Amino acid sequence: MSEAKRSSSSVPEPAPQPVPGEGGIRAWARDRLGWDDLAHIAAKKRVPVHRYTLFYYLGGMALFLFLVQVATGILLLLYYRPSSAEAFESIQYVMADVPFGWLIRSIHSWGANLFVGVVFAHLASVFFLKAYRPPREMTWVTGAVLLFLALGFGFSGYLLPWNTLAFFATKVGTDVPAQIPGIGHLLSRILRGGSDVSGATLSRFYGIHVAILPAVTTLILGAHLLLVQRHGMSVPRSVEKRTNRTMPFVPDFLMRDMVGWLAAVGLLAALAAFFPWELGVKADPFASAPAGIRPEWYFLWMFQGLKYLPSKIAGIPGETLGVLFFGALAAALVAVPWLDRRGKRGIAVAAVLVLIAAAVLTVLALLPVPSATKP
Amino acid sequence: MRDRLLVLALLVAAASSARAQSPPPKSPPAVNGCIECHTALDDPRITPPAKLFADDVHAKAGFTCVFCHGGDARQEDQEKAHDPAKGFIGKPTPRQIPELCGKCHSDPALMKQYDPSQRVDQLAEYRTSGHGKMLAEGDTTVAQCASCHGAHGIQPVKDSRSPVSPTKVAQTCNHCHGDAALMAAHKLPSDPYEKWSRSVHYRARVERGDLSAPTCNSCHGNHGAAPPQVGSVANVCGTCHVTFADQFKLSPHWEPFKDMGLPGCVTCHENHEIVKPSEAFLAEGEQSKCSSCHEADSAGARAAAAMRADLVGLDGEIRQATRLVDRAAEAGMEVSRVHFDLVAATNALTKARSQVHLFRPSAVHAAVAEGLTVARKAAAGGQARLKERDFRRRGLFVSLGLILVTIVALVVKIREGGRSSREPGE
Amino acid sequence: MESSARSESSGAVTRRSWVSWLLGTSLGATLFAFLYPVLNYLVPPESSEPSLSEFELDLKASDIPPNSGRIVPIGGKPVLLLRRPSGELAALTATCTHLDCTVQFRTDRSDIWCACHNGTYDLKGRNISGPPPRPLTPLEIYVRGEKIVIKRA
Repeated sequence: MSEAKRSSSSVPEPAPQPVPGEGGIRAWARDRLGWDDLAHIAAKKRVPVHRYTLFYYLGGMALFLFLVQVATGILLLLYYRPSSAEAFESIQYVMADVPFGWLIRSIHSWGANLFVGVVFAHLASVFFLKAYRPPREMTWVTGAVLLFLALGFGFSGYLLPWNTLAFFATKVGTDVPAQIPGIGHLLSRILRGGSDVSGATLSRFYGIHVAILPAVTTLILGAHLLLVQRHGMSVPRSVEKRTNRTMPFVPDFLMRDMVGWLAAVGLLAALAAFFPWELGVKADPFASAPAGIRPEWYFLWMFQGLKYLPSKIAGIPGETLGVLFFGALAAALVAVPWLDRRGKRGIAVAAVLVLIAAAVLTVLALLPVPSATKP
Repeated sequence: MRDRLLVLALLVAAASSARAQSPPPKSPPAVNGCIECHTALDDPRITPPAKLFADDVHAKAGFTCVFCHGGDARQEDQEKAHDPAKGFIGKPTPRQIPELCGKCHSDPALMKQYDPSQRVDQLAEYRTSGHGKMLAEGDTTVAQCASCHGAHGIQPVKDSRSPVSPTKVAQTCNHCHGDAALMAAHKLPSDPYEKWSRSVHYRARVERGDLSAPTCNSCHGNHGAAPPQVGSVANVCGTCHVTFADQFKLSPHWEPFKDMGLPGCVTCHENHEIVKPSEAFLAEGEQSKCSSCHEADSAGARAAAAMRADLVGLDGEIRQATRLVDRAAEAGMEVSRVHFDLVAATNALTKARSQVHLFRPSAVHAAVAEGLTVARKAAAGGQARLKERDFRRRGLFVSLGLILVTIVALVVKIREGGRSSREPGE
Repeated sequence: MESSARSESSGAVTRRSWVSWLLGTSLGATLFAFLYPVLNYLVPPESSEPSLSEFELDLKASDIPPNSGRIVPIGGKPVLLLRRPSGELAALTATCTHLDCTVQFRTDRSDIWCACHNGTYDLKGRNISGPPPRPLTPLEIYVRGEKIVIKRA
């Protein structure tokens, strides 16, 4: 097994000694910042090599894309105005007048989708490779929370351009928590900053998107990464016994990581240049909802699923049951390491069924809507 | 005389009631004997009118059968009810109908009690119309009041059930004016509706619901229906198409057309089948409007050709600019400011087209020149945005190239270092 | 961090250092390609927020005499900027509600007219005669000294 050892720092530090071949600044930094320890850890960190090693890159890719979002998000912050009167126009300004504004904004919008996609892929690979086995249960739990945070970022960010699509998608989206029995309406009110989607909602979502979620994500992500570092990379049972080849994290794994990261940046840049993210029309709260309103692709399965539920099942509103079902799914996701104590196939089959159902619902949601009125 | 006196007495009684909705308190009584008997008899000739009348606007205002037909509604005996001494006229003949309706509808004092804003000159107008004149001469196949308004289920014109409501009036005219045999007997064409249904006015009115577009009565009048005289066609069209008519009257065509008895606008634009005009009207060919009078290579033909060339030129520039801007917009560039210039150029083209009616190439040329400036500005704007798009793509390819080189370098480095660093064991 | 590279033949060493050089240089160039747009992005453009909700016009308030009007572009659409005989400045959308021609101010009648089909509006934008089915939309206008600022609806 390959596990990184923590270096102990119980021995008092010796006086600074010059190391042969070291430059003056490096020595200075080494002595003050103590990154010897870090360098030591990094040098010793090794990654198992087997036929599933490719999936190890997904976590790093998700992290990289998150950092891309943070960077482009901060840049957008410099020009964005979070009020219903100016949000749309400020993004128009960024797209049309700010030098390379089109690039930053399109990368942020495309990047969000790529990020969520990679997070799903990372989740799927960790799940099917059963990397959540003891002692890595908490890594899984923090990961599940990070997934919910990522979806939260997507949902809150979607409203910020304040265009028709976003406005009505948010309206529909914030109607869903209202179905939760008891606290549902209060929850919806808290989300919306009022009884309806309005400028108050925009302010809230802005605060959630740029302050609350980043703060929470920093903590949870930090915990997640520390846990990964603590336990090292998990090796799937099927290859556990067959190989004990490893590669150093630095530089080999990192370089391979970088290939992926560079490819991702290239893809985002190409998307930004050839398929700039649309802005649409400014939201008009008094206009009627246009046909074909729907949330982003990662919510479509929920959106479509709710549509198929009958209005009442055994006296309970169908939507409420739907929402409770989603809640149960989320709880099941978090509890996977405990649900799969025996490590057999059952849970994988269940997951595949859920995935297929979600995929079918997503495809159905994307089909063009036949017109309701026939001539 | 007596029937008229009776009707007059009844009218005075009606007038004295003052409330529009309630029937007059004096004769006749609340029970309308005519309706009772006529419905009970269940005869296909006399029962339908009785049934229809219940929904009639006159019934709602308190007028009953005797107000038009005379007779005595209180009598159960048919002879007594239908007593000519009580003014009974039975079914009015076509020649009687206009006067009958006009008894009330030409009386301002009376009409003011029921609908003050309604006109009271319909009968006078009718007498001047083609229909009125022919009816006076004894032709009973022409339209009179009941032909268009109905007789017993009459609705106000504003009511969409009325055959002369704005959405239905053309079809009502077409009942007769589309009847080939009837029209042949009057030496009139029977295709005006069919032709109008292919016109831009039909598309606007019927397909887009724009009631400001003309239908039959817009140009021919309602009660004084007659085709506009040759000299007044431009005035009629000019009620909406003001600038065109004004220019036409200032043009060198105005006097000659009048002298030759040519019907103004209709000469080139037809009367019913008014289609969207195009520059082809000025060209030489099938659609040419000029070549029927102006010989090839005459001053007029050359003027037409010059105007056409100018208009086609501006139209072409605008199309080209629009294509450029659309391409830029598709590529995601921001083009709203350029759209303003396109709108301005299109406005200039519209103005230039209206200037054609001055039939002086210099006027068209001036308007086109203005338009060209703006169209070229729009095209330049579109080009600039396409250049920006190209700059972005070039930048992208440079970046992608750099990324590719970096990836290649990484891969090479990985392969090199890889051989010695993948050691078995820990 | 490098593996046991130094003990190998000098050919391999030169090749290795060449690859390292290539990697370093291309990474640097790529980084520059990333930084170039970002640094440019940080520099705000010349135009002072023209796409935002307020538009400052190039015209001065004194350029518009009473009982006159002219068309100005706002966000790519024509807007009629007019001064009523009473002196107040107003802004209305200039696209006719009938068939989208651009309207004009008529000084002789103090009204707004559409030449296409003789539609007429009053100076508050209400459609008063002819085909137009709806009034023109008024836009908020602020005058700060000589500056005219129009707020996009």
